[in-house]
Amino acid sequence: MKKALSVLMVLALVVTAFVGCAPKATEPAQEVVIYQNKVEIGEQLTAFAAKYTEETGVKVTIKTSGGDTPYAENLKAEFQSDRQPDIFVIEGMGGYKVWESKLAPYSGDKWIDLTDLEFKVNDQVFGFPVAVEAWGMAYNKELLEKAGIDPATLTSQEAYAEAFAKIDGMKADLGIKSVVAMAAGPDMRWVTGLHNFNGYLSAGLPYGDTTVLDKLNAGEADMQRLTEYADWVEMLFNYADKSVLLTGNYDAQVGQFATGEAVFVHQGNWIDPWLATNGVTFPMGYAPHASVKGEMSSLFIGAPSFYVLNKDSVNLEASRAFLDYMATSEAGHNYMVNEAKMIPAFTNVTLIPEAPLSADVMKWVGKGPAYTWLQNDMPDGFGMGTIAPLYESFAKGDITKAQFIEQIAAKISEIK
Amino acid sequence: MTKQAKNNLLFWLFLAPALFAFIMVVIIPFFMGIYYSMTDWTAVAGQKPNWVGLSNYMSMFDDFAFRYSFLRTFIFTLFSVVSINAVSLLFAFLVTREIRFKNFYRAGFFIPNLIGGLVLGYIWQVIFKSVVPALGAALGWPALENLLLLADPNLTLFGLILAFTWQYAGYIMMIYVAALLNVPQELLEASDIDGANFIQKFWHITMPLIAQAFTITSFLTLVNAFKQFDILVALTNGGPTAIYQDQVVNSTELLAMHIYNVAFKYNNMAEGQARAIVFFLVLSVVSIGQVYYNKKREVEM
Repeated sequence: MKKALSVLMVLALVVTAFVGCAPKATEPAQEVVIYQNKVEIGEQLTAFAAKYTEETGVKVTIKTSGGDTPYAENLKAEFQSDRQPDIFVIEGMGGYKVWESKLAPYSGDKWIDLTDLEFKVNDQVFGFPVAVEAWGMAYNKELLEKAGIDPATLTSQEAYAEAFAKIDGMKADLGIKSVVAMAAGPDMRWVTGLHNFNGYLSAGLPYGDTTVLDKLNAGEADMQRLTEYADWVEMLFNYADKSVLLTGNYDAQVGQFATGEAVFVHQGNWIDPWLATNGVTFPMGYAPHASVKGEMSSLFIGAPSFYVLNKDSVNLEASRAFLDYMATSEAGHNYMVNEAKMIPAFTNVTLIPEAPLSADVMKWVGKGPAYTWLQNDMPDGFGMGTIAPLYESFAKGDITKAQFIEQIAAKISEIK
Repeated sequence: MTKQAKNNLLFWLFLAPALFAFIMVVIIPFFMGIYYSMTDWTAVAGQKPNWVGLSNYMSMFDDFAFRYSFLRTFIFTLFSVVSINAVSLLFAFLVTREIRFKNFYRAGFFIPNLIGGLVLGYIWQVIFKSVVPALGAALGWPALENLLLLADPNLTLFGLILAFTWQYAGYIMMIYVAALLNVPQELLEASDIDGANFIQKFWHITMPLIAQAFTITSFLTLVNAFKQFDILVALTNGGPTAIYQDQVVNSTELLAMHIYNVAFKYNNMAEGQARAIVFFLVLSVVSIGQVYYNKKREVEM
């Protein structure tokens, strides 16, 4: 008897183990799940979603993964595990290619007419721009004034060369360690391999021009541009502090600018929150990158990420309504500008961000056509994995400028 | 039902939960991995992987970065095994002497092992980037003050070995302590009376008697060094770059990290999987060889 009982118990145990794996009952239909990658706006977005639920009764759940946890990997796990989100995030063409079979296009949504930065493939709109970001040479206005340099003149390599040399000669007067806060170390490969290299791809070209990128993806380098671009890289490296350049991380690089030890920093307006938390108050602005020869008239402005729709979602309409609400309502604008501190991509927004660099980016947006973000449209891993180490070696002096040019060209030609 | 059959049934029933878990999370994924390594799988749900045979395996040895990564992993493993075992044996000797506060030391040496590899990597990053130059400034040595340790490939590899030793030596020390406490004192006393010196006692009595511990510790350090990933991510992130045979390479991109990068950064899941399988095979062969060799040196009392 006892034995039979124990056998029963074991059976029960095994059965429970299986039951635990059984799929859950169907969830309520009207629930939009957004799986997004910006840790810093997770809370604000959740609060905005709660407000939306209050107003419309549609439940919106925000799930966040990002920062140090790799979003792309987690998203794949999310799909593999059957907890498919209704809205998720892609970062341009690379993400599109990975998720192509899963995406549903937008059409007739109100927000589409309010922006130029939507993500389009073959005239079909697939991505809702989350925010506008930009990078250029951020400068410290006070220090530039002290050095007697008008930031409006910084539009070409010649002007930069002159200004850098002048500032370098006044190091002691200005109390700086180096002219530029630049980083090319192992932790900062996105700065060199993606952001800086984007200058080669799009600086000086009309918005949306992808000729250089198309050549790159076909395995062909534009040697003229590459040679001019290498001059720019060399200049940035020459006027940077060696320790930050070679081993610095994000904090070290931005910190150098924030403490007034460098006049320029090669970063985007995403450093605003960092500067605000650390109590930086000096006036600042942006000058264009002089990545190649010629006059430069804008920054690299674009939408880094897009909300896309999951084709298999049962809540497609509800998802689209939520995004429309974000782009067209007062509450949505307030959330984007004042709560999440982002620069909205929509022309109907009248609020101006209070953060200094973001406000300056909005000015540049108004000034006319920007230089395109093409850094995410290169093959996966090419920017950060394949060419970024070359920058580091160049910065260390392990390879010369000629070798730098030659090896980048060689890596480009390896692309099938 | 005979008693034999009943026993059999009970045996399998009790085994079932563990066996079920083992099959689900080890055996099945392992064979799925082998299958995926022979396809062009990209891990996107709903995309059927295409069979490509052995081409992922053939292409990996053409990849310069992979061969270099192998080389560096072997160097790192070799130095780590020697350094961890030497340090932990020394510690074990110290804390089995009759000294004051020996339990305190034992705990102290062991504690780094309780710190996660990522945290530990960041701690050592601060040490190498800030503490070392500050020390140089305090001592008035400009060479040390201006040393960019994490920009030099060889110094970084040694820094990595140092951090790994610091983390792991305490754990290995505990195994040696247990082994040393089992060495019979009368043998050592007898040899004392016969006039043996410390070296002779160590080499001819202690070493053979703790050979069993050597088998275990060598295995553990070898496998863990070979698989090193978390300290690496936090401390060096694969860098700094070095020039090897005229090519720019990432000097501390060891195999585990290399596989991760191929799979996730370059989005070549299947290729990464193929490399992971080769990684598994090489590690198995090396560690089985090591255990076989060490086993032969063990003595029975």
